[in-house]
Parts: sequence; structure tokens; C-alpha cells
Amino acid sequence: MSTDTVDDRDVVRTSNTFLRDIWTNFMRWNINAIRNPFVVVSSLVQPIIFLVLFTQIFGNVVTGTLPGGISYESYLVPAIAVQIALIVASSSGIGLVDDIESGVFQKTLVTPMNRVAIFLGKTLSELIRIVIQVVIILVLGVILGADVATGLPGALAIIGIAILFALWFLAFSNVIALITRDQESTIIAANMVQLPLLFVSSAFLPVSSMPGWVQTVATYNPITYGVDAARALMLDADVMEVLDITAFGGIWNTLVPSLAVLIVLDVILGAIAVYMINRASSASVQ
Amino acid sequence: MSTNSDDDRNRPVDTDRRRAIEAEGLELTYADGTEAVSGVSLAVPEGEFFGFLGPNGAGKTTTIKVLATLLAPTAGSVHVNGFDVEGEAQKIRESIGYMAQETSVINEMTARENLRFACDAYGVPSADRGDRIEELLDLVDLAAVADKQAQDFSGGMKKRLDAAMALVHRPPLVFLDEPTTGLDPKARNRLWDYFEEINDRGTTIFLTTQYLEEADHLCDRLSVILDGEIVADGSPETLKREVGGEILDVELDDGTEARERAAEIVRSDGLFGDDPIVELTDDGISITSREARKRGPDLLVALRDAEITVTGFNVRSPTLDDVFLAITGEHVDADASSDEERVETAADPSTAADGGNP
Repeated sequence: MSTDTVDDRDVVRTSNTFLRDIWTNFMRWNINAIRNPFVVVSSLVQPIIFLVLFTQIFGNVVTGTLPGGISYESYLVPAIAVQIALIVASSSGIGLVDDIESGVFQKTLVTPMNRVAIFLGKTLSELIRIVIQVVIILVLGVILGADVATGLPGALAIIGIAILFALWFLAFSNVIALITRDQESTIIAANMVQLPLLFVSSAFLPVSSMPGWVQTVATYNPITYGVDAARALMLDADVMEVLDITAFGGIWNTLVPSLAVLIVLDVILGAIAVYMINRASSASVQ
Repeated sequence: MSTNSDDDRNRPVDTDRRRAIEAEGLELTYADGTEAVSGVSLAVPEGEFFGFLGPNGAGKTTTIKVLATLLAPTAGSVHVNGFDVEGEAQKIRESIGYMAQETSVINEMTARENLRFACDAYGVPSADRGDRIEELLDLVDLAAVADKQAQDFSGGMKKRLDAAMALVHRPPLVFLDEPTTGLDPKARNRLWDYFEEINDRGTTIFLTTQYLEEADHLCDRLSVILDGEIVADGSPETLKREVGGEILDVELDDGTEARERAAEIVRSDGLFGDDPIVELTDDGISITSREARKRGPDLLVALRDAEITVTGFNVRSPTLDDVFLAITGEHVDADASSDEERVETAADPSTAADGGNP
């Protein structure tokens, strides 16, 4: 072999940077979402149906029972925002299983891309979807008569809460995906917990109006904390019923405990997910 | 393990041809205790088209996954492009292309987007990307459908796209794990041309296959793996010579009973010297011997005397399948199909021996 051919074959690499790898995967999953408009649209359909139906059907009954003359629209919109986060996050694991089944997961693992960046890019793409869909719901809610009492900063904070809330469920979805390694099981597992958990939380009705055992479940249901935090911002009020905290004053009596619960959940499930993903992509384990 | 001599042996040898792959005593035992590879040693010089042959479950894919840094070896020293698979996996990933056994392309993306993704993943300089992508699209004949989504592609098109994705960074070493399994002959030939072309350009290729015809057509050198161990090694020609003679295929009219009687005649009459290899085939018997050509007519007479009807016969040079049979006692690409099934399909004219009546 002549040295010419050797030189010709020498690879000139722009060294992959961490951010570049995140971007590569972020764009890949964005294209994925755009090419599957049905999936994107259908993940919006259920929350919109809930928003419209619930406000139309229960609006008159519930509005009277809500304190301080709050409209049911304003009461419900934060819950629907959290529902959006839940639905999009639950699809995260499905994308991962799809990748494992199709061999694309392995294909990305033999590239020099940073493994953390591969997952960060994917997660970022899912979070962007949540942001866009929550914005759509907020706008739709306002059109239907909801009112964001804390204004634009509050609306942005609600988006932040949706992201914070999404992370633990996103991690959960990936953990289920890596345990089952099967699309159907992942979809079933995610759907199985989604709807019942929404109903036994503060999402649709005041917890105080529910039977005692549901109140107990709602107290330990993470959805309650996501919804309460978003609702506190929406209504500019201390809306938390499951914990009686008065130390921080006003809406912070809801926000501080809610954020604490969500952050702890994010860290715990995030750590489990990172551990499992590491194991799945490390060379020592099949 | 840290004596000088060990270190020296583990380094790639800097002779006129450097080693693209060097494995010493590679072992891999899965967590459940299954020993997939037990002490494989390999040395593949740069520029070689190397074939790794074996039946399903022999350890081919496990070995290739270790070389491509997807699995860590349980024991042994493994260097790829001069880098250690355990300490320098990142450098290996930058300098190899890997085409997995199962086709993996991103279905939602077009062919061009798939290649762009691969360019990004391998850090191909942005100035080179456009040209590189067009060149590969041409090479694998996908230029006309470059902007169609991969999910609409046929199996062969996906395979070609998959192969192109493994080459965007012009790796000096490419792993192809059964790249043509499940393809029709036309698609297979196209991929072969393509692999030969990149090998001609100096790329080292490590190919696993179940198709002996493929190995014979493409490879400079072969290793045969069976139950996790290498059992033979050499060029296709050398391996064929090791079979020891030529093959006499005799096609018989009657069923299993006639074949067994014929085989018994071959063994007992001593027509073919000491130790002819006799095998019952789909539609007759097959004898491997140095005397195959000379003694063929005598056998026909003996069979006629025993009232066994011969419908055809043929003397030929050994194929790699015969090599495989001689080494392992089984056909390399004999899958789940049982003898019974094979007898049934023997009525198909395409499976009849060369000398058979139409």
C-alpha cells in the first residue's frame, strides 16, 4: 500500500463537542416529531377535549363551589397543562424502545457521540414539545375565559412548572422502557397510571370535595403538587389543600412545598433513569 | 500482565503492514454464564478483506461487538486500529464503521438526512459534508431517492443506506455483520461491488457471513469460528485444498434406504483408499477423496451391481461449504430445515446435481 492511500483515508474530524452532540440528537428527534404529526396532534387532542368538555359540562356546577368566585376555566387550565406534560413525557420511553428495537440505539452507541448528550438532546426535544403544547393550552384557556392572575411572568412560570413536572415522569417512562424493552408494555404502563392518577389528584376538583380515601391518595400523588404549583400561579393564591403550610406566606405556601416535592422526585427518578441508561449503553452488559 | 514482552506483543506490529485488528485470547461470558466466545485470537492486517465464518450462535456477532466496543471482553487483550478496546474505546469509535446485522436506519428521515445525521454523529467537517453525502448516495445508488423517507425503502435499499451511514467518516476499518442476509441475489451483488470498491480504496473490512459463496467471492482470508473458538484459518483457496481431494456427487433414484446402501458400498469396498468422507445428500451421496475422479466409474459399476439406480453424477472441486463440512461436520448455512424437508425439496430441478437428467 502506498502512503498516498493511507493519507487519503486519514479522517479529518472536527472533534465532537458536547453541545454539538446534544444539537445533533435534538434535531433528530425534532424531525421525528414533525414527521409524525399524528402523534403530536393526538397528544394535544385529549387535553383539549378535557378542557372543553369539563368546562362546558361541569363549569356551572363547580364554579359555584370554588372559593373567591374563581371560574372553572381558570381552575382547570393549570391541570390540563400538567396533563400535557404527563402525556408527552410518557412517550419518551416509547421513542427509546423504538430505537432499541430498530437497532438505531446501538448505532448511536458505536459513534463517538457523548452518551449523556444523546439523551439530553432527546429530552430537550421532548421538553420543547411540552412548552409549545402548554402555550397552546394557555392561549386556548384564555380564549375560553380563563384568567392568568399573575400575568405573563406567571404564565412563563407555569411553563416552567410543566417542565419540572414532566422530568420525573419522563425518567419514569424511560425506566419502564428499559425494564420491559417492549413498546406495547411501555405504552400500557404509561397510560395505565396516567388517567387514574389525574383523577385522584387535585387536577379536576377540589380535594376537599372528595371522599377521605381519595384525599389520602391525592396527598401522596405527585400530580397534586404539579397541579397545585401551576394553579397557585394561575390564580395567584395559596391553593394547596393536602398540606397545611403557612410559613412562607401567600402563594409561596403552595409553591415551596410543591417545588420541593417535584425536585426531589426529579432527582430520584432521574438518578434511577441515568443509572439504567448507563447500564444499557455500557459495554459490559448486553 | 505488565512484563515487557507482553506489552510488546499487545502493541500493533509496526512492520510494512500494520494490524487493523489484533486480538489475543478474547473471551466473553455473558452475565447469565453463557460463554459466547472462548479464547479467540485474530490478527487482521490493514487493507485486508477478512471473513469471519460460522454457523448461527458460533460467536461471530459477539466477537464483532467486542471489536466495535459494544461489549467489553471478559478476558484477553484486544486492539483495534492500535487502540485498546477497554481504555481507548472513544478513539476506536472515531476510527471504525459498523454495520449491524439488523438493518438500522432512521425511518422518519430521508436518505440524505440519515447520512447527515451520521456525518454529525461522526464529526465530519461541515465543509466536507455536502460532497461526502452526494458521493455516498451515488456509490450506493440512492441518489434518485435521496429525499424520500427511509420507511418507504425496500430491504435492499435500507441495507445500502445503512452501509453508507457506516462510511461517512471514511473509516480505515469497517465491520460488516452479515450485511447481505435476507437480500435477493441482485441486491446482494450490488452490495458486494460496493464493498470491493471501498476495499480497493484501502479500507480494511471485517465481514461476518453465513454464506460461503460470499466469503469465497470477497475475502482475502478467512477464519472459521465454531462454538466460540476458531477452528480454521487461511485463504479460501488454502482452506479448500485442506479438504483433501475432489468431490464426487452421485444422484440416486430411490429413497433414504438406497442412499444408505450406497454409502455402505463406498465405505466397505475400499474403492477410494483409506478414509473417504461419505455424506448423504438431498438426493444421493457425496464422496470426498483424492481418488474421486479416478474411481468414479468403478463406483458406478458397483452401484449397478447392487441394483441401485444412478440418475446422475458429477465430479467437482470443493466449495467452502465442503470445507466447513470437513471441519465442523455440519453445513455452515444449514438452518432449521431438517433432512426430511430437504428430501422433499429435492424434486425441485434447481437443486438437482449438475450431471442429473432434466
